[in-house]
Amino acid sequence: MMLGEGASGLRRYLMSVAAGLAILFVMCWIIENFVGYPEIKSLPLHAFSTVSRITLTLLISIAWGVPFGILAATNKTASMVITPIIDLLQSIPILGYFPLAIGFLFALGPIGIELSVIVLLFTSMAWAIFFGVVGAVRGIPTNVVEASRSFGFTGWKYTRHVVLPAIMPALISGANLAWSDGWFFMIAAEYIQYKGDIVAPPSGGLGYLLARASYFYKDMNLAAILLVFVTSIVIIINSLTWHKLMERTKLGMFRPISLDLSGVGKLQVARMTGWVHFTRFHWPTSFSLVTQRLRKYSRLEKALALIIVVSAIILILYSEMEHFPTLRMIRDGLANPPGGELVQLPVLITLTMGRLAIAYGISLAVAILLGVMAAEHKRMASVIYPIYDVGQGVPILALFPVMYLGLSNALGAPRLALEITCVTMLVLDMIWYMFINITSAVKTIPPDMKEVGQLFGFKGLKRITHLIIPSILPAIVTGSILSWGTGWNTIIFSEYLPSTEPTIQPVSVPGIGSLLDKAGYEYGNTVVLVAILGVISTIVLLMEALIWRRLLKKFERYHVEV
Amino acid sequence: MSVLEIEKVTKTFVEDHTTVHALDNVSFSIEKDEFVCLVGPSGCGKSTLLRIIAGLEKASSGRVLFHGKPITGPTPNISMIFQLFGLLPWKTALENVEVPLEVLGKPKDERVVIAKEHLKMVGLKGFENTYPHDLSGGMKQRVGIARALAIKPEVLLMDEPFSSLDELTAKTLRELVLSIWRNRETLPDDYLMVSHNVEEAVYMADRVIVMSPRPGRVIGEVKIEVPRPRTQHLREPIYFGFVDEVVAMLEKGNNDCAIKNHDR
Repeated sequence: MMLGEGASGLRRYLMSVAAGLAILFVMCWIIENFVGYPEIKSLPLHAFSTVSRITLTLLISIAWGVPFGILAATNKTASMVITPIIDLLQSIPILGYFPLAIGFLFALGPIGIELSVIVLLFTSMAWAIFFGVVGAVRGIPTNVVEASRSFGFTGWKYTRHVVLPAIMPALISGANLAWSDGWFFMIAAEYIQYKGDIVAPPSGGLGYLLARASYFYKDMNLAAILLVFVTSIVIIINSLTWHKLMERTKLGMFRPISLDLSGVGKLQVARMTGWVHFTRFHWPTSFSLVTQRLRKYSRLEKALALIIVVSAIILILYSEMEHFPTLRMIRDGLANPPGGELVQLPVLITLTMGRLAIAYGISLAVAILLGVMAAEHKRMASVIYPIYDVGQGVPILALFPVMYLGLSNALGAPRLALEITCVTMLVLDMIWYMFINITSAVKTIPPDMKEVGQLFGFKGLKRITHLIIPSILPAIVTGSILSWGTGWNTIIFSEYLPSTEPTIQPVSVPGIGSLLDKAGYEYGNTVVLVAILGVISTIVLLMEALIWRRLLKKFERYHVEV
Repeated sequence: MSVLEIEKVTKTFVEDHTTVHALDNVSFSIEKDEFVCLVGPSGCGKSTLLRIIAGLEKASSGRVLFHGKPITGPTPNISMIFQLFGLLPWKTALENVEVPLEVLGKPKDERVVIAKEHLKMVGLKGFENTYPHDLSGGMKQRVGIARALAIKPEVLLMDEPFSSLDELTAKTLRELVLSIWRNRETLPDDYLMVSHNVEEAVYMADRVIVMSPRPGRVIGEVKIEVPRPRTQHLREPIYFGFVDEVVAMLEKGNNDCAIKNHDR
């Protein structure tokens, strides 16, 4: 059925499904019989519950992403409202909202917990689909839109015959990304730390098992075995579903993008996000009138006025705090621990940014090296691309505690060990976005460009500096945006290792991520939590406005028009 | 001795698991100071042939001789103009022309002088520091021509150089290329152009070589004996006579191919 080659194709497909299942069952049987922990005994059930949970969340994400994406892409008013909101949600660390978002769901009991796990997965999976759909709908060529209008297609007919087929490739690659993200974040979603407790879904899950092996038993071997098992599931399911789907959709689409497996999706999402950020957002007219009037004053006057206004607002709020219950709550929140640590915010931000910058630098260097190697040597490419396919979906976070313990024993310096572990986790999370963007850009360097290089005799280093690096620069920028985004998510996990026993202190390195964890997990201080999230969101948005937006604009002309 | 000799060139390649016969036993030669045009339907392998001559691709069998020596890779003696211009988007017009000179190891100041001179020749004085992004299609192709000529090649290959331009721009650029060709002192001696526009081919070339649909074979050759400059003969029967002759050959090639496919 998947291959569409009639009965023999179907039979072959069913046989490979059976073979895949058989391999997994054998692995289950071996693990169950050779590992002593009680939780492992029902491994197939755990696996089933995680697979169905991620699948269900994927379906929900599609059901949400497709209509909203189409709406945001076709309706101007809707786009003005939906896109900025989703854009903001996507760029700030969603994981930080976990404690906030799920507190009230826990009140519903076991079903509430299952629901909150799905909500958490959804928040990490839905964006790729939404942005993919928006990009695809906007990318429908004008001539196709006009032709179909002239044939009288409107409403549902237009959606069914033009929009849905047009978004199919983007939907599939977006769904594939969402799927990988789901596997990556399941360990966080199935092992929720809430007010000092560990909450796991009643139906269990592989993420729960992994976290338990790693955080609770601190058993390196068990974690590694489970990780291999999870990776096998990902590989088998990928080869049975996504690979086939992508092969099929390669044909007969209007999009000029090649639907390679290692591809498109993230790049497209990145381009899309870039575009959405920078051109779609129009200030309302009343606001622009204000700015026009403001333009008459000098910069100094404006700055002074701003300072006066802001301090007046702060003074009024502060003096009124006693009278309003919410404001009093804010003041109390700031007075309670870890509110006092907010004073060190500049230092903490610098430390965290430093870690992110180091991890980013490493990711960038490795990704460029691999990308260029893939471009220059076909054989390297055939080794490198499949690594991405599997690598991005492996829940590497599971290795965090065991790696920390191993390193701190080996080095004898726990603090240094945690620093190294933190940066390693960041690299392993950030690198995929750089990697996917760079390799797909390298793949799409137009043959014309390469021929010119060949004709005029570029060789070796000259070829790389004159031809390859400049042509992938835009992709490097979009990859950077995405990898910093995901880096902010991961920092929340990687600066702080929670304790599973009440007697032992959790370990952490100073940083804004660990402060957020303390506020959320140790003290349950919502006010501080929101304040830190506000700070992080501000940093993310500032970086976008001051760095990425400018770079993107600068490299716009590097896009080769074909 | 001929400048270029194409000897029994055959090219097959595998695409999507099927073998494609692009060129089948193609032979012809180009003499000194000649302007030759290859015409044929789309997909007849004429661009592939041009790439083999440029040393960008290898023939499956047969060879191409340049002054009697086989071509094994790109050489500065043979330069090329691309249909989609092939400019590096991250370099200015001047830098784009400089690039091949840099590879040849010319010092910076000399490079700039040569590049400026060639940009001026193609009418782009004042656009040295403009990026391709901000140039029109015609201007981009002017940069492409300047770049190809800056290395002083003996042979200039042109792969449908005017087919992505509007007719008015194409006309101006044809005149530009012809005026460069007429100036025999410094610039390339031989021109080989690939085109699917018969009128363009007859207007520009000394000789038109006609190719069949895939697999591309040479099915005829027409020597164009319209006196130059040909602008003044564009409305005359002598011009249309040659156009008709080439078109008839192309149609015959197409029909033969259709019959062959039908028999199969």
